[in-house]
Amino acid sequence: MKCGTIKHRCQPYKQFNTNAEREETMSAIIEIKNATKEFKVLNRREGLLGSIKDLVSRDYKIVRAVDNVSMTIRQGEIVGYLGPNGAGKSTTIKMMTGVLEPTSGEIIVNGNEPYRNRSRNAQDIGVVFGQRSQLWWALPLVESFRILKDIYRISDEKYDSIMKLYRSLVDIEPILHKPVRQMSLGQRTLSDILAAFLHDPKIVFLDEPTIGLDVSMKAKIRTLIQALNKERNTTVILTTHDMGDVDALCQRIIIIDKGKMLYDNDIEHLKSFFGSYRTLKIRINGDHEKLAEEIQKELPDFSVSSDEEWISVLVDEDKEKVIDVLGKLQKSHDIRDMQLDEISSEDVIKKIYEEGVS
Amino acid sequence: MNLKKYLTLTRAGIIESLQFRLSAVVMVIGNILYLIIVYFLWKAIYASSGTDVVNGMTFTDTLIYLVLATALYGFLEMYFVWEIGRNIQSGKIVLDLLKPMEYRRYLFWSYSGTFVTHFFFTFLPTFIIVAVFTHGAIHMGINLLFFIISVVLAVSINYSIDFIVGTICLFTESIWGINMMKQVIVLLLSGATIPLAFFPDKLREIVYCLPFQSIYNAPLSLLLDANPQPETLTKVFGMQIFWSLIIWAISKLFWKVSIRQITVNGG
Repeated sequence: MKCGTIKHRCQPYKQFNTNAEREETMSAIIEIKNATKEFKVLNRREGLLGSIKDLVSRDYKIVRAVDNVSMTIRQGEIVGYLGPNGAGKSTTIKMMTGVLEPTSGEIIVNGNEPYRNRSRNAQDIGVVFGQRSQLWWALPLVESFRILKDIYRISDEKYDSIMKLYRSLVDIEPILHKPVRQMSLGQRTLSDILAAFLHDPKIVFLDEPTIGLDVSMKAKIRTLIQALNKERNTTVILTTHDMGDVDALCQRIIIIDKGKMLYDNDIEHLKSFFGSYRTLKIRINGDHEKLAEEIQKELPDFSVSSDEEWISVLVDEDKEKVIDVLGKLQKSHDIRDMQLDEISSEDVIKKIYEEGVS
Repeated sequence: MNLKKYLTLTRAGIIESLQFRLSAVVMVIGNILYLIIVYFLWKAIYASSGTDVVNGMTFTDTLIYLVLATALYGFLEMYFVWEIGRNIQSGKIVLDLLKPMEYRRYLFWSYSGTFVTHFFFTFLPTFIIVAVFTHGAIHMGINLLFFIISVVLAVSINYSIDFIVGTICLFTESIWGINMMKQVIVLLLSGATIPLAFFPDKLREIVYCLPFQSIYNAPLSLLLDANPQPETLTKVFGMQIFWSLIIWAISKLFWKVSIRQITVNGG
C-alpha cells in the first residue's frame, strides 16, 4: 500500500472526558495546511576539475524537504514528531518557528504567520535544539535566567512563580550557580529545557532533547517535560529517535519520511498495530548476508535484515511466538548469541511504509 | 522598560569577558610587542628622513597617534565577522534568530559589555600611560568630550561594516578570507596603521571621503587637537554622522534581503 493514502484515513481524534476539557483543548494553536518546502541545491561535480566548474555552475536541482504536510495541533498537546534522519522534521520545526519560510502552503502559529513576524512569534515559543545550547556559556545558570527574564520581559511575579515551580519539580539548587560550561550534558539539557519554558511560552519545540543522555537523566527529563506541560498547559512538539520518549510523553504522534506525512494519530492506535512485534536479533558464524537470505526463505512471513553484527527478524507474535521462531532457527543454524528488542521507531516507520495502517 | 533588555546583555557581556583573565593578559602582551615594532619602525623612518618633522608630524606626534590607535583597535575590533560566521557555520544563528529581538541588535548588545571592559582595561590604561609619559602632549579639555562622542560614532560605523561583511558569510560560508580583506582595508584606509598625513595628497583626498577614516582617524584627530575650530568639528562630526547613518541603513537592508534569501533557500 502506498503511503500517500494512509494520511487521509487516520483523522486525528481524541477522547474527551468532559465538555469543559474538550473546549479547552480544542483551540488549535498550530495550523499547517499543505506546507511544502523546497531547497535549491547546486549539483556538485567530482574531482578538482569538477570543483572548479562548480564555481560558475548554474546547475541546480530542487530538493523537496517537506512535501504537502498538513496538521492541526491543539493547545496543551504533546506531539511526538518522528521520522528517520533527513525526513524533514527539523525543516518543519524551522518553518513553525519562523526561521524558514514555506515554499507553498500555509502555517499559522498562535494566530501569526511565524516567518513574517519572527521576533513577535519568538515571544510565544521556546526552543531546545539537541546539543546546541542557548545559555550563556561562561555564566552561572541563574545569570542566564536573569538575562532571559529581561529579554523576554518576564515580570518579577511570573519569574518567581516559575522558579518556585522549577524548585518543586527538580533539584535545581546544585546547578543554579554553576557555569554552564562546567555542566554535564544531562545538566545542560535540563537547564536548556528550563530556560525554554522560563517565559511561559505557549509552545515549546524540543528537538531530540534526550540525545546522548543516560537512562536516569532521560527519565528525569521526561518527568520534567510532562510536569511542565501539565502545569502550564504548554503545547510541546517533540522530535526524537527514542521510542522511550514517545511512550512516556506523547498522546499523539506524527510520522514523516522523505518529507511526506505517513501517520498522524494517537499512539495507542499505532501500538495496537505494532504492539505484537518484536525484533529478534541473532548472531551466527558465517556470511550474514547470505544467511539472512536463507532465513528469509525459511520464514516467509517475517522480514529479515542483516548487518555485520546481527541478523534481525521482525516477528509478529500474533502469528508466531518468538520462542518458536528461535526454536526453528536453532535447528538449522548454530546461533552464537541472541537479543530481543521492542520494535524500534525505525522499524515502525519501515513497517508503516511497507504495509500501511488500516 | 525597553532599554533594560539591552542593558542586561551589556551586563552579561561584562561578566562574561571578565571570566577570561588570561586572554586579557595575552592581549596586552601582544599589543606591547606590536608597539615595540611600531616604535623602532618609525624611529628608523624619522632617522632616515633627516628632519624632525615629517608631513607636519613630529616623531612624538606620530608615536602618540599610533599608540592610541592601537589601544583604540583593542576595543573597536570585536571580531564580529568571526562571530557571525561561526554562528552561521555551527547553526547557532537559529537560536539567536529566535530571540524576541532583532538579530542585528541582539548581537551588538551581546558584545557591548566587551566594549566596556576593553575600554577600561586596554584603552584607558594606555591613554593614561601616554599622557603621563609625554608630559601634557595630550590636551585635557573639551577635546576629551569630543573624542568620546566621536568614538561612539566610530563604534557604530565599525559595527555596521562588520555586520555587512558578516552577512556576506551567509553566502560564502567561509570567513577567513573575507575577514582578512576587511581588516586590511579598514586598518589601512582608516589611518590605524599609518597616520593619514603620510598618505599621498590624491589618496588622502579620496580616503577622507570614505567611511573608514571616521573609525580611527576622526576620533584620534579630535583627541589630539588642543583647540579644535568649529569648522573642523562640523566637518568631522558631519562626516561621521553621515556615514554612520548610510552604513547603518545599508547593513540593515542587506541583512533583511539576505535573511529572506536564507529563509527561502535554507542555510
